[in-house]
Amino acid sequence: MVEIADIEIGQVIRDEFDDITRDLLKDYANASGDTNPIHTRDDIAIKSGLKGVIAHGLFSLGFITKLFEDFLDHENDGKLIEIDVDMVGMVRCGDTLVTEGKVTKIGGNMVYLDIVQRTITPIHIKDSNGNIIEQFEAGERGYISEKDRERNLVHEKEVDKGILTYRDRVATKGSAIIQLNN
Amino acid sequence: MKENAELLKRELPGKKVPGKVRIRCRYKNLVDFAKVFGFTDQKYVGPEEDGVVACKAFANHFTIKALYKLLLGMKIEQDGKKRSFILNPGKLLHAGNKYNWKDCVDIKNGDTLKVTAEWGNVWLVEKNMILFAELLVTAKNQNGELVCKPTVTAAVRPGGY
Repeated sequence: MVEIADIEIGQVIRDEFDDITRDLLKDYANASGDTNPIHTRDDIAIKSGLKGVIAHGLFSLGFITKLFEDFLDHENDGKLIEIDVDMVGMVRCGDTLVTEGKVTKIGGNMVYLDIVQRTITPIHIKDSNGNIIEQFEAGERGYISEKDRERNLVHEKEVDKGILTYRDRVATKGSAIIQLNN
Repeated sequence: MKENAELLKRELPGKKVPGKVRIRCRYKNLVDFAKVFGFTDQKYVGPEEDGVVACKAFANHFTIKALYKLLLGMKIEQDGKKRSFILNPGKLLHAGNKYNWKDCVDIKNGDTLKVTAEWGNVWLVEKNMILFAELLVTAKNQNGELVCKPTVTAAVRPGGY
């Protein structure tokens, strides 16, 4: 059970989702009624200059509301009162969506949080000789721009298979308010 | 283009968007929606006879309906002629979204929602000539109880307004 006494300024609530697929975007399109084909058909997305399908903006937002519904034990411990976000970056299949809420203020039983949702986009893995041994969708389709590199959003890290190159970019940012029962 | 933007900045704020959208909240739709986000709690995906409630993300469903049906269908008068608010829907972007659930009740299986909207602030960023417009949406159930107050920020690229 989450209670107001357990909450501290600076506390971070976090979730990671790494299963964004074309099938899931189709399921979301059917459930939400947002059937714009740039979210479900690569051919149409490419014609629109997007290089491949992009997730619906509100699809990503759903993972923010879920973060708080899970944190509040499906609203048994309190209520999600408000979410206010700007969508600043595209989310694509193969991305890992990292959603974080950081407590900035506590007033009575209300908790105020900043929200940042980032996408971790794998590009490729190289072996110790610098040869690409695994190429991901972002690498194949050219999702990573020069601007991404200029902004230092592209990084490398060691993984089991070799050196992974990936982009770490903000997709959504904003704020939230939750109200706890106790 | 700037003339069109000035007209919208002058005419839209505070104006009601004509019409309303009705949303029937069927069991399958609520459950399918929750499953997309991986909910397994019976509150959202349990048997129909036990009753389920919508997860918070279900607000996306009626927000999008409002955006498509109300906003894209809206006409305004310019130089004595009626024209669509959006001249080219392909230029429309969803730039921001706010959901407020203060004093709201849960959406339950079988509810019928009535969704209405009015215009909030409208502004132009002259650097890129993107027009931003806030749509203030109200969603109530069949008993007149609030279920959510979404605010959508739409961005319209040049050529779209």
